[in-house]
Formats: sequence, C-alpha cells, structure tokens
Amino acid sequence: MGLTLIFGVMRVVNFAHGEFLMLGMYVAFWAFALLHFDPYVTLIVSLPLFFALGWVSYRLIMRPVVHASHNVQVFTTVGLSIALQNIALVLWTADARFVRTSYYAVVVRVADAAFNVAQFVAFGVAVACTAALFAFMRWSYTGKVMRATAQDRQASALMGIDTDRVYALTWTIGIACVGVAGVLLAPVYPVYPTAGLQFVLIAYVAVVLGGLGDMAGALLASLIVAAVEVAGSYVIGTAWKEVLYLLLFIAILMVRPAGLFGQRGAEALGT
Amino acid sequence: MSAAPAAVFFALAALASFVVRDAFLLDSLILILLWGSAAAAWNVAGGYAGQISLGHSAFFGLGAYGAAVLGTRWDLSAWIGLAVGAVVATAAGLVLGFLSNRLRGPYFVLATIAFSQVLLIVASRLRAFTAGSEGIPVPFRPGFWTLGLADKRVWVWIVLVVAVLAYLLQRYLDVSRRGYQLAAVREDEDAALSLGVAARRLKVAAIAVSAALTAVTGALWAQYVGFVDPFYVFSVDLSVRFALASIIGGLGTALGPFLGAVLVTTVETYLRAQFGGIGAGLVGIYLVVYGTALIVMVRFAPQGLVGWLRRS
Amino acid sequence: MSLLSVAGVTKRFGGITANRGISFDVAPGELVGIIGPNGAGKSTLFEIISGFYRPEEGDVRLDGVRLTGLSPDRVCRLGVARTFQKLRPFAGLTVLGNVMVGALTRTKDVRHAREQAREIVARVGLEDKADAHARTLSTGQRKRLELARALATRPRLLLLDEVTGGVDQRTIPALVQLVRELHASGLTLLVIEHNMRVITAVTQRIIALHLGEVIADGPPDVVARDRAVVEAYLGQAYTR
Repeated sequence: MGLTLIFGVMRVVNFAHGEFLMLGMYVAFWAFALLHFDPYVTLIVSLPLFFALGWVSYRLIMRPVVHASHNVQVFTTVGLSIALQNIALVLWTADARFVRTSYYAVVVRVADAAFNVAQFVAFGVAVACTAALFAFMRWSYTGKVMRATAQDRQASALMGIDTDRVYALTWTIGIACVGVAGVLLAPVYPVYPTAGLQFVLIAYVAVVLGGLGDMAGALLASLIVAAVEVAGSYVIGTAWKEVLYLLLFIAILMVRPAGLFGQRGAEALGT
Repeated sequence: MSAAPAAVFFALAALASFVVRDAFLLDSLILILLWGSAAAAWNVAGGYAGQISLGHSAFFGLGAYGAAVLGTRWDLSAWIGLAVGAVVATAAGLVLGFLSNRLRGPYFVLATIAFSQVLLIVASRLRAFTAGSEGIPVPFRPGFWTLGLADKRVWVWIVLVVAVLAYLLQRYLDVSRRGYQLAAVREDEDAALSLGVAARRLKVAAIAVSAALTAVTGALWAQYVGFVDPFYVFSVDLSVRFALASIIGGLGTALGPFLGAVLVTTVETYLRAQFGGIGAGLVGIYLVVYGTALIVMVRFAPQGLVGWLRRS
Repeated sequence: MSLLSVAGVTKRFGGITANRGISFDVAPGELVGIIGPNGAGKSTLFEIISGFYRPEEGDVRLDGVRLTGLSPDRVCRLGVARTFQKLRPFAGLTVLGNVMVGALTRTKDVRHAREQAREIVARVGLEDKADAHARTLSTGQRKRLELARALATRPRLLLLDEVTGGVDQRTIPALVQLVRELHASGLTLLVIEHNMRVITAVTQRIIALHLGEVIADGPPDVVARDRAVVEAYLGQAYTR
C-alpha cells in the first residue's frame, strides 16, 4: 500500500520497502521484549517514529535523486535496502525472533477458515488504513495535490505546487504505512533481518497485479494473491509456493508492460 | 580511452604471479581478477547495453552448479562442467533477454531479482540433484583437467586469461559497430530503432554473452573455493556486488569493473578480517558498507573511478 | 509511380480513433506538409509509417513494398527515416557518435561510418560541435542533430516531426533553409509543421488532418482557404 503510493506519485520503485517492514517488526519485537509493550500499543507509538524515519530517509537519501534517472533511483534504494538489512544483521544477529503474545493461540473462526487474532487484527487495520488513505487521496486537498503531481510533475510545479514537499510527504506516508504493517505482522511471523524480502515480493505481486499506483486495485489484487497462495500450497505444496509467486510476478509484468509502464502507451494517449 | 592503463594493470597481475610468494596476497589477486571478470560480464549487460540486472547471480550460480554437479555426480572434468554451465546460463540469458524486450527500467530490475530467486529456490529444493540447501562441497581432484590446482600461481594465470578476455570483449564494444549500436539502444531504444538498429536482437545477444561469461566466473569460483552454497551463489547481494564493482569503477567502461573489483575486494577482505572474529553478526558490516557505497557513488560520482581519473 | 502510398489507414486507441481511413500518395522528390489542430492524428500517422504503431486497417507501402507490420528498424533499413517531435538524442554519445549510429545502418565499417558522419554533421552545420556530448546542445542544435542522424541512414523518404517547434525564432530561417536544401538534393520529405508561414513557404502540397481524417489535400493556398480546414482550426479556437 505504501508501495503503491510511493510509486504512484513519485514514480520511484522502492527496493528498500521490505526493510522498513522488517524494521517495523523489530520495533514491535523490542518493545515487547524490553518494555513489555503489546504490539498494538507499539502501533500507536511507532506511527510517529516511522513518520520521522521516513522524513529523515527522504531528506538524506531520496531527495537528491528524485529527479534522477530510474537507474540511479534503483541503485539508491537497493543500496538502502542492503545497508538496512545488514545493519539489522549486525545489531540483532540473524536469529529469528518471535513476539509471543498471551492471545497468540486464540483462534477466530470465519466460515471454515481459522485465523488467529493477530492475523485478524492485521487484516482489519490494513483495510482501515487503505480506506483512510483512499479517502485522503480522494478528498483532501493534499491528496488532490499528490494526484496532480503524479499525473504531471512539471505542470503541477507550474501551478505553484511545491512538488518537493509532495514527494517528501508521499515517501513519509509510504514508509509510515509499511512500518505500521511491520508492527502488525510481528505477532504473526518471525522477525529476522531478511524478513522484509518475502513480504515485499508478495506486495509487489499484489501491487503490480492491481496496477501500480492504484490503491483499490492493490487491495483487490492482494486478495487474489491470497487465494493463489492458499490454492498453490494445496496443490503443489508449500515448498514450491514461492516459485509460483515469482513466476506469477514475472508473468504479470510481462502481460501488462506497455499499458502500465511503457513509454508508448503514454505517447498514444498524448497524440 | 586508450588501452595503456589496462595493459599495465594486467601486466602487473601477471608479474605478481612470479614475484609474490605470499599465499594471502595471491589469493586476493585471484579473487580480484575473478570478481573483476564477473563485474565486467555484468557491465556488458548493465553498463554497455543499459540493461540493469540484479539477478546476475543466477548465471553465476548456474556456472558454479554446472561445475560442481557434473564434477561430483558424474566425475566429469571441471572444464566440461564450466562449458555446460555456460551453455545453460546462455539459455537463461536468452530468457532474461526476452524479458528485457518486454520490460523497461525498474520493472526489468524487479523481474531479474525474481528470476534469480526462482533459481535459488529450485536449487535449494531439488535435493536429489543439487544436494539442496546444504550446498555441494567440490572435492579436490588434483590435475589441470579437474582444476584441482594446489599452485595458486596457476590459478592466477587461468583467471587472468578470463579477465583479459572479458576486458577485450568490452573493448570490442567500445570501438565496434555493434558497440555503437548497443550504446544507442542504451541511450534511447526507440531512437535506435528509428535509425535501423535491430535493438531487440542486440540486447538479447548482449545479455546472453554476459550470462555466459558470468557462468564461467561462477564455475571457476566454485572450483577455486571448493564449496557451492545456493543461498550465496544465487543471492541478490552477489548480483549487487557485480553491479557495485562496475559502478565504482565506471559503468560502461572496459577497465572500470576491474578497478572497482580491486576496491571492493580489498575493502571486503579487510573488513572481514577486522570484524570476522569478534562476532558472526559483524561480518555483515561489509555489506552495510556496500549499500552505503552504492548510495554515495550513484549520487556523487556516477561516472565512477574511470570518469574521475579521466577528468583529473 | 508513387514512392509512399498510404491506403485506408485506421488506428484506434481504446475508444478513440486517432486515424480513420487515411489515404494519400507521395511522389518521388515531393515535399509534402501535414497540418492539423492538436489531436488531429498527425503524429500517430508518423508512428504508423515508421513502424512504431501497427494500424488496425490499411496499408503503408514504400515503392510498392509493404511496410505495415514491419518493425521500425526494418522500416528504416528499407529507406524511411524520421525525427521525433519530442527530441531524443543519445545524450551520452557525442554528436559524431549519434550520427555514426545512423551511418552504421548502411555500412559495416566503423571508419567509413565516421567519415560519412563527419560530412553529414558539416552539412547540417554542427561541425564545431562534432565532439561535444549531445546533452550539451541547445534545442536548435538538437533538431539539427536529429536531422543529421536520420540523414545518415540514407533514407529515400524522410519524416520530419515539427522541425521548427520549440525553437528560438531567429534560428527558424536556417532550419527552413536546411529543409529546402534537402528537398533540392532530391530527397522526398513528409513534414509535420505547426507554423503555417513556414509550411506554405517550403511546400507545394499540404495534407490537412482533422479528428483523424484527411479533410484537404492540395496546394498550400487552396488548403489554407478550404472551408473545412478553416472551421477545424477556428472550431478548436472557439472551444478552447
């Protein structure tokens, strides 16, 4: 979701997204282990924290390259990703860590499927966040400005929109979203330095499937991915599930290249 | 750029093999030449053709597994394993080349990462064939034919030959017709097409050649180090290492990847030696340095060392 | 016998028909102008002729050879060169390098290509910029570069998309003169141009497009006074 936002407005593919997710999970873990904070309490505390982190990382790292070529942006975010991953490795070792809440084993039944509470809450908060973000983009002035910038950088700049601020805000909100997501996932999945990767690949599949930059599409697509996941592990076993994802991911990229990202599609509309 | 600095560079490497007796220094030299060749192979696709791949470890891994699997399972010559690895990698390169014709910019990068991850999972799950996630120890079988060479100087010569070949391949792209056309494709594919350049074929060819060369370095690496770990040879970190050496040295320059490799390998060796013993986790420091270096380089010195040397 | 023959070309993007049944012929040595308000389908037509778009219906032929369905590089090798409305120089290459890419389509020999490129660079008046990187050029110089690059492929038909668009007023006459010279040397040209004064000065024939259709085809003074053309332009002015 944060991914969609960042890409949609800034046209930057953020390869470090998963690492912010990982950081979110670690925040939840340490808050739980050291301060005995429930992850859902941490959620509230971490929101400003990730806003700050997003803002700082934008100022220091992203701002100089917002207008640079795609390749520069790719390398910058890849570099960020590797650095964060290994900082985590150095600081917290490669061990997988768990947040074991008292209600870990509590299961909620919906129809035939069983979810534990944490999954259920994560899903609920995700939907609420999406709705809030969607409303924000649609109706608030800032949201409108962000969408305008997404459509035409130059024109927006000419209209007196401070595009730099828009980018900063977009990046920050995007990072905040993913940080929160990390906190939410902590009670469900183990935390380790490369934890971000597996989620971010799934997120990318969802985002690309739904259309980059399209939030409602992304939500719909993540449901499809979830369905594929369940069906996939049933049919071919969990071990090969990831291969299925990745192939699906490549296939999706292949099937819809021009419409989504090709220059030619854009040209066609311009004539 | 003239070829003189490169001639000096490779001559020094050759000379060192006669003069230097220290095993550690020879080892560093071999690794520098090997990583330099791998970075040069990456540079053919990433620097010259402009197809930024972060999945090149896929080809490296195919080469490494080619040599290791054929050697341990069927007792074949390491050279045959190397050749088979290169052929398989070329085929994989064609697949990636096909992707490059459908995907541009960041989407291609994403697809290349996914590509290497697919191979990683396959390699670590196909237990019967690849020994799965434990990896394959490559047995030391003495003899040139099996690449079981105790004398490190012979290793220097072998990797030096590969390095010079990789360098010459890049020089060819500096001065030849195909090189000019490839540069045009990198700068603006549509404009290149409009001038009669068969852009798609050229790109696919560049990626396939790059893949084959990467596989050769992978196979040699496996024989030299003696162990193939799927989580290392197919890792994104490894792909980034190739890219980083090229970027530090100078994207799309023939000598750049080798200069970059000197720096990257030296720094890594130093940091590993410094922090390796203290705690296992601290080994990751060199990767933090990698990541930071990448961010800093593309921002402040996009032309790399070669560009910097040219100006001064 | 016509050099270029466009027959019943139709191209749609979703619900929009950018080109609808466009037909016309261009004789060897002709210089034909294409005009029309924004969105008339001029650029789409160029993309189709040069092989970047594939039309849903109709055919484009060069000297009887079918171009439709061929890739842009094939079309170029058959003798159609083009410039882009939005300039696309190879920014990282030198001016000479840019032009050499075009020349190398006709020769395998790099040295030979370099000589040819040097001549062409001189012909468009960029000789003192030959070794400069393309990204350092001004817009007017970039236009010349695109022209030089296209010429280096030794085209039989040259498609020019807005030679004078976005260029400083003072450099327009020199560019117009260059187009005249190319025409005088026997090259066949198809030119999209917004500047009516420029186009009436260089061409003997103008094709006017509106909403994807040909609405007039004839000598400049006749087309300029054509009712449909005037209405198309006025209509656009009013609705704006």
